[in-house]
Amino acid sequence: MSRYDHRRPINRLLYGIIYLIVALMACSMLYPILVAMFNSLKTNTEVNSFPPTFIPLNGWHWSNFEKGWNFIDLPMFLRNTLTIFVGNLVVTVVVLGLAAFSLSKMNVPKSKVISMFFLITLFIPPTTYLIPNFLNLKDLGLVNTFAAFWLPAGASAFNLLLLKNFFDSLHQEMFEAARMDGASELRCFGQLAVPLSIPIISTLAIFIFSNAWNDWFWPSLVMHSDHKYPLATAIYKYVISARGLGLNIRFAILFMVMLPPIVVFLTLQRFIMRGLHLGGVKG
Amino acid sequence: MSHSALPIQPSETNQTRRTGIVQILRKHLWGYLFLLPALLLFAIFLWLPIIKGFVYSFYYIDFVKGNTFVGWDNYKTVFDDPNVGKSIYNTLYYMGLALVMGFWVPIVFSIAISEIRRFQGFFRVAAYLPNVIPVVVLYGLWRWFYDSVGPINAGITKTFGGEGIAFMTDTSWSMISIVFMETWQQFGSAMLLYLAAVLSIPRDWYEAAEIDGAGVWMRIRHITLPSVKGLIVLMLLLQLIGTSQGFQAQLAMLDGGPNNATLTYALLIVKYATTRLELGVASAMGVLMFIVLGVLAILQFRLQNKGDN
Repeated sequence: MSRYDHRRPINRLLYGIIYLIVALMACSMLYPILVAMFNSLKTNTEVNSFPPTFIPLNGWHWSNFEKGWNFIDLPMFLRNTLTIFVGNLVVTVVVLGLAAFSLSKMNVPKSKVISMFFLITLFIPPTTYLIPNFLNLKDLGLVNTFAAFWLPAGASAFNLLLLKNFFDSLHQEMFEAARMDGASELRCFGQLAVPLSIPIISTLAIFIFSNAWNDWFWPSLVMHSDHKYPLATAIYKYVISARGLGLNIRFAILFMVMLPPIVVFLTLQRFIMRGLHLGGVKG
Repeated sequence: MSHSALPIQPSETNQTRRTGIVQILRKHLWGYLFLLPALLLFAIFLWLPIIKGFVYSFYYIDFVKGNTFVGWDNYKTVFDDPNVGKSIYNTLYYMGLALVMGFWVPIVFSIAISEIRRFQGFFRVAAYLPNVIPVVVLYGLWRWFYDSVGPINAGITKTFGGEGIAFMTDTSWSMISIVFMETWQQFGSAMLLYLAAVLSIPRDWYEAAEIDGAGVWMRIRHITLPSVKGLIVLMLLLQLIGTSQGFQAQLAMLDGGPNNATLTYALLIVKYATTRLELGVASAMGVLMFIVLGVLAILQFRLQNKGDN
């Protein structure tokens, strides 16, 4: 719509309606988050009251957060989630980075066949190998270890594709010049390609972090002991289906778990939006 | 005898063959070395499970006593189980609902937000915010929202009276509730992709159309939508593939209930593996899905080629 459109009253009405709908959408996005926050501050009876209240009316009970914090060992689960995330990121950048670099910049013969080997896996539905993947890990004795996450993370054709496309966009001449100056291939990768790949590595980091933070089902299958559960699985096992846990404390825990990603997102949102553009639409 | 000013080059036979495998390996040593870790990981953690899936579908898996070969028994179990038919129906229903309720939302909102002049950034962030929240937290939140004494029902009973809707325990509402929740959570990321595409359409086209007398709606129909057609097709494909594998929300929120109303195909596979401990049958179901999707992909490929001809 242009300036001239807005002169016509019917278009102004249309714009008003659009604005209203979008504003409603934004409110509906924010409402659940605010509800979680306010419910964390109520007494259990108030949360259970019908019709439900929005802002706490029976006092603001900050002690709920302390009770929620102590209900399950949040720091340990957080540590597990971060361990999974860091390991996944390292494996991705090192293993898939080297492979993408080789396919993109090193003129390996039969590279098309090798690419096929990697990329055909994208066409196989995950449901087909969900359970066999678990059986395979069991056969290899990797159940209940963190390697059960890190190693399959290196088998992501999607991440490989992102890295390869990015490396393709780097100029070959740079690497030719470096090779002529005597740099080994390892140096080309480590001191030339990797520093230039910060944009795509950040994008990957965002995807991998989101994956690690959200994944609750696979860890519940692969891990057996409490010590090793990541945060999402712990929430699933102990909070969602918990009996005898007051709703207000449940909301307190949920809100505390919700807060770090939101804070990280809001502070980094500019980079994240840019990263999504990089990984999504081309040109 | 020939004299030459230049020293005579050693003949070909004094050197090893230039085209042997060893030579290729030596020349591209680093290339292959870099590929090696990824090749190993893909082979061991992706291809091996896939092959094992096919193999194990013919076995009865027992972790204690060892696996026994059972031939086609697992497949027979699959075809005899009435739950399988229900799960296929549920999965198709889920995919259809996701299309009807959720596919157009990001497109419409991306066009709407592209028109917004003030606070566009704020709305973009607000739309993406639910995507940032861990899924499990959302399950907990929406369980409360959908509760018969929750806020949604409070609103409904206040405005319409009556008993309210049992979003989670009513078989007809349960899948719809899940799709609504997932649309709410996920439309932000698709919307951002569409928004990027819509914002990259050159302004001149709109101005030219406007000068020619096209109204707002005509401009959207003839400029905006055709320009994002490629993206729409891609997202449609991705959504269909994704929803066909859906099971996590159904498992966490309702455990396939009420009365198997939300039991999707993937969820049934999971249940066969985890609660019934019949991993061979679970593998067989996975193989069947692979075959069905593979056939569909080939059909679609053939249709496309015929269309080009």
